[in-house]
Amino acid sequence: MSSFLPAVAVLLVALLCLDLHSRVASAPICTHGPSGCHVLSLADLFDRVIQHSARMHSLSNDLHSEFEQYFLPSKNHIGKIYHKCHTSSILTPNGKENAQKLAREELTEVILKLLMAWRDPLFQLHQSMAHQQDFNSFSSNKALEMGDMAHELRKGVEKVAERMRVLGMLGNSVTGLSAAEAMLPISDSGEAMSNYELLYCFRRDSNKVQNYLKILKCRIVPEHDC
Amino acid sequence: MRNSGAVLILTFIAKLILQAAGVSPPGKPRLTSCRSPEKETFTCWWEPGGDGGLPTTYALYYHLENSETVYECPDYRTAGENSCFFNKNDTSLWVNYNITVVATNALGKNISDPVEVDVVYIVQPNTPENVTAVVVHDEQGPFVRVSWEKPRTADTRSGWITLLYQLRVKQEKDKEWEVVGHLYNILHMLKWSKVAVVFYIPRERSLWIMITIFSVFIVLILTWTLNVKRNSVKLCLLPPVPGPKIKGFEKQLLKSGKSEEVFNTLVIQGFPPTTDYDELLVEYLEVYDNEEQELVLDGKDLSEDCMKSKSPSDSDSGRGSCDSRTLLLEKCMEGREGSGSGSDQHQYSQHGETSWASTESSESQGPEPGSPESADGCGKTWPVVFSSPQPQTHHHYQVGAAKPAYHSVPEILNHSSPHTTPSNYHQLHHQDIPQQEGRFSKPACRHSQSYNQFNLDGVGTPAPGVPPSPSLEYVEVQRVNPENMLLLRPLSDPNREPEGLDCAGEDYSKVKEVTNNILLLQRDTSHQCVDYYSQDLDNQADQCTTQQPPHPCKPAVHQSNSRMPHEGMRVMGNGYVDSTVLMPSY
Repeated sequence: MSSFLPAVAVLLVALLCLDLHSRVASAPICTHGPSGCHVLSLADLFDRVIQHSARMHSLSNDLHSEFEQYFLPSKNHIGKIYHKCHTSSILTPNGKENAQKLAREELTEVILKLLMAWRDPLFQLHQSMAHQQDFNSFSSNKALEMGDMAHELRKGVEKVAERMRVLGMLGNSVTGLSAAEAMLPISDSGEAMSNYELLYCFRRDSNKVQNYLKILKCRIVPEHDC
Repeated sequence: MRNSGAVLILTFIAKLILQAAGVSPPGKPRLTSCRSPEKETFTCWWEPGGDGGLPTTYALYYHLENSETVYECPDYRTAGENSCFFNKNDTSLWVNYNITVVATNALGKNISDPVEVDVVYIVQPNTPENVTAVVVHDEQGPFVRVSWEKPRTADTRSGWITLLYQLRVKQEKDKEWEVVGHLYNILHMLKWSKVAVVFYIPRERSLWIMITIFSVFIVLILTWTLNVKRNSVKLCLLPPVPGPKIKGFEKQLLKSGKSEEVFNTLVIQGFPPTTDYDELLVEYLEVYDNEEQELVLDGKDLSEDCMKSKSPSDSDSGRGSCDSRTLLLEKCMEGREGSGSGSDQHQYSQHGETSWASTESSESQGPEPGSPESADGCGKTWPVVFSSPQPQTHHHYQVGAAKPAYHSVPEILNHSSPHTTPSNYHQLHHQDIPQQEGRFSKPACRHSQSYNQFNLDGVGTPAPGVPPSPSLEYVEVQRVNPENMLLLRPLSDPNREPEGLDCAGEDYSKVKEVTNNILLLQRDTSHQCVDYYSQDLDNQADQCTTQQPPHPCKPAVHQSNSRMPHEGMRVMGNGYVDSTVLMPSY
């Protein structure tokens, strides 16, 4: 029996190593400069963060659909009263031209602001879903994963920004976001948003982030896929 | 007041008139779909609800979420009839549009149900352009090259939208389309906008890794299962080999720690054999099959249950004897041994420890009391049947064949403890010769054993308790050793060695022949079941407990011919024959 356990451990490790999911991990930035360490190209970094954002949006889409299917029968949203999303105060371009008019720095900053604004609300969403009996474990896990991905994505985008700055593509106007930037999901009326509203808003915001990243990428590293 | 009343009445009358004329306000229009081809503009369509017979106009109104300002559709024409086209300036992404359509005619208007639309979620690209399929001949064979171009309106250059292509084919007669190529990597997709070749992206490496891992996993699980069940696997593959045991040697002795007894059992007294046989009380055993059986009888009161239990196996020729159980006489007489075995045969017979039950008639299955059949959980003992291996006896047998005399396997005295055996021994010792029936102690694995001696064929001395009838052959007790073993030898042959023969379970055996100092007993008429059983101490226990006769119905000595090799017999100086050597290989 004791000989069995190491084998199991080896198997588990091997399975984990399989590339079953495309996970975006933050690439280590070579602080010593291009010499002396293997550095990922900016294009690769962009690819990673875009994949990550696609995954995040797909999760939010799934959760929103589940919610709608099980808790809100009417699909036309007739009679729904929405609270404003808490991120509505962040000015975001709502069209292609508007997005293209924005400078790289501004676009990057918008992305980072959005991601930062969702850090706490996503955590709250997961907590609330985990405690409620209505949700099955899959939904709760999705919410958790979603929160983690938002966090990872933010780190990734920060790294991308750092790289761009190093490469001279970005001015210095992009500043790190402080904790003060983190926003709480409180609507105008002062009430906390419900889970559905959070999902609704995050679905939208994750789509924004994905789109902006693509635009940024094709603007900065248009070599392939653009 | 009056005027309004008059107006109302007039309106009502007018409606009635109009209804009579077949006109009515318009039906309720319904928004059917909204679609954006490139995420920059979008169009909504509606269907009229019925014009009510009068020319009806439709107007689309919308307002953005969380805003009360209502706008009207900027363009009713571009997208065709009953449609509204929102151009780039009027399209905002990530914002909900609340859209309604109003149908108006001379008689009234009707408003559709509102629909909420977020442009981002109604994007549906245009079709690829210039789709061509060309058959190309190659050295590897013909293949089809499909090429297409991206839809013109989709702006993929700026990364605003990402298109994913999927190739589907179907034969003319097929109903369903089959997806052929999966170009799942969206980013790489765009490279193929000009020309696309069908190809598969096999994830070979991952697949093989998965397969390898799963097979290893399965192997590990199997190994672990085998490990868990290793005992039963061992049992299956490597059946337990009985370990050597000392005949007459009890484990209890070891456990009890009485060294004297332990040593006593190990010591073979009288070794080397002395020639003082004559000094011993010679007992002749006679086996007869008729009335004398009552002699045996005692066995009856011995234990009915034993008998009964025995019968089933006995009736089945060959079966009962076929397993070690039948070979061994069970110590049914557990409780019986107490009586010190009366000094004379009668008592002896009552003793219950011995039973010649089998002497009774051949027909009867001779269950012996105390025959092993009844498993009461006690140990089993080997019934011992001796017969003189005299050629004369053989001859006699022939003679007496007509009247088969079976001697049942003598019951073995069941001694609960070796202590009692000496008493038996004594009993045996003192009994009259002709009447004597050897007392047999069950050669239980735990008990010392003594052999039953009896005469075959009724020629010898009568069995105890029975008037002696002329027996064909006498078997003489050579000696009785402290283990309560009776060593027999045929009278006619001073050199013969007694052997114990077991006939599995069955109580009777008929001497078939005697060769080489070996007495062959025949059980039933059908087959011979002769087992040799060595009197060696060290073999005894082994045989007792675990050893099964080498095939029940394949007696050690099968035929009357001298199958048993002389040389195969290891005759020991003390008159024991090592039966294990004798066992023929089947």
